[in-house]
Amino acid sequence: MKLTPEQIDRLYQFTRQHYVEWYDLQTELVDHLANAIEQQWQENPKISFEDALQVEFKKFGIFGFMEVIKEKQIALGKKYKKFVWNELVQFFTIPKIIFTLLLTLLFYYLFHLLFSKDLLSAFHLLIAFIGFIFAFRINSKYQKYKKEKGKVWYLEEMIKNYSFMLFFGYLPFQLGNSLLRLDFNSDGIIGFMVFFTVIFYLCLFIIVFEIPSKAEDYLKETYPEYALENVN
Amino acid sequence: MHKKIMHIFVIQFRLMKNSQLYKGSLNTIIMKLLEEQGRMYGYEITQKVKEITKGELNITEGALYPALHKLEAEGLLDVEVEKVDNRLRKYYKLTEKGTTETVNRLAELEEFIKNMQTIVNPKLSY
Repeated sequence: MKLTPEQIDRLYQFTRQHYVEWYDLQTELVDHLANAIEQQWQENPKISFEDALQVEFKKFGIFGFMEVIKEKQIALGKKYKKFVWNELVQFFTIPKIIFTLLLTLLFYYLFHLLFSKDLLSAFHLLIAFIGFIFAFRINSKYQKYKKEKGKVWYLEEMIKNYSFMLFFGYLPFQLGNSLLRLDFNSDGIIGFMVFFTVIFYLCLFIIVFEIPSKAEDYLKETYPEYALENVN
Repeated sequence: MHKKIMHIFVIQFRLMKNSQLYKGSLNTIIMKLLEEQGRMYGYEITQKVKEITKGELNITEGALYPALHKLEAEGLLDVEVEKVDNRLRKYYKLTEKGTTETVNRLAELEEFIKNMQTIVNPKLSY
């Protein structure tokens, strides 16, 4: 006996109820549960769909799908970092290196200009404030999108909900502030701060603009079923 | 009461058996199976292991999928998706890197077993 399309839908609903919010993970778990339930029906045709489902869910242990979600997050996080790294390397190739150098110069002068504790503190607060506002906006926009679409992929969420990174936008200025308080105002320290700042803002640029603009390609590369789904 | 305690002991023992020693080998077991079978999906792997070990070794669902996703992230496994019976099925297979790694890990495991035998049963080694 095979599961009906309605029962498959119920399985998707079941995974959502157990905090699996992403379509890629849901799909794999639905297939697993469906196979297991069909196997139970072969051995005992009388068992009801819901009872069989409960039996199978218990096999995942007391934490349910949590362990599966956690590991998936780590695995995809690694993948995401690789995307950022690959994009970052691009900024040190011939066409973009001029941009990188200009950015470095800009920050070098900015830090020289701001080399007073008060100005740097003010700048740090301003960036933090802007970062917070954007982070909240991006997050609420994403949550709305997720609710409307109903079907999001885990990697898609990592790509589109980059609000967490905006919270840290002030970090280079925070670092500058702390170093100043220690009275390190040598060229070496400024050089280090500039280097850190450039890399940091390049990463931020990649996360906010570059990767979301290529989201489609990344999703297709990661999920073979992504293309399959969008045809149907 | 006595029976209940015994029952708990048996469960504890089974859990230990299924997690402590085998946990480190789970990845190797998965890779070995994929090397033999070509490609498999999650449920198929749990069933196959049960079948081969006649039910002695039970891969838990909560451990299998994390292991698969980790191996995939390490570039050792590749995935294919097909529509089967109204639903999508995700198949795993070894990548080239995965195939090489399987050979290494199996050799390592064999060495380990050999050493363990020597330690547990020293007389046999002479």
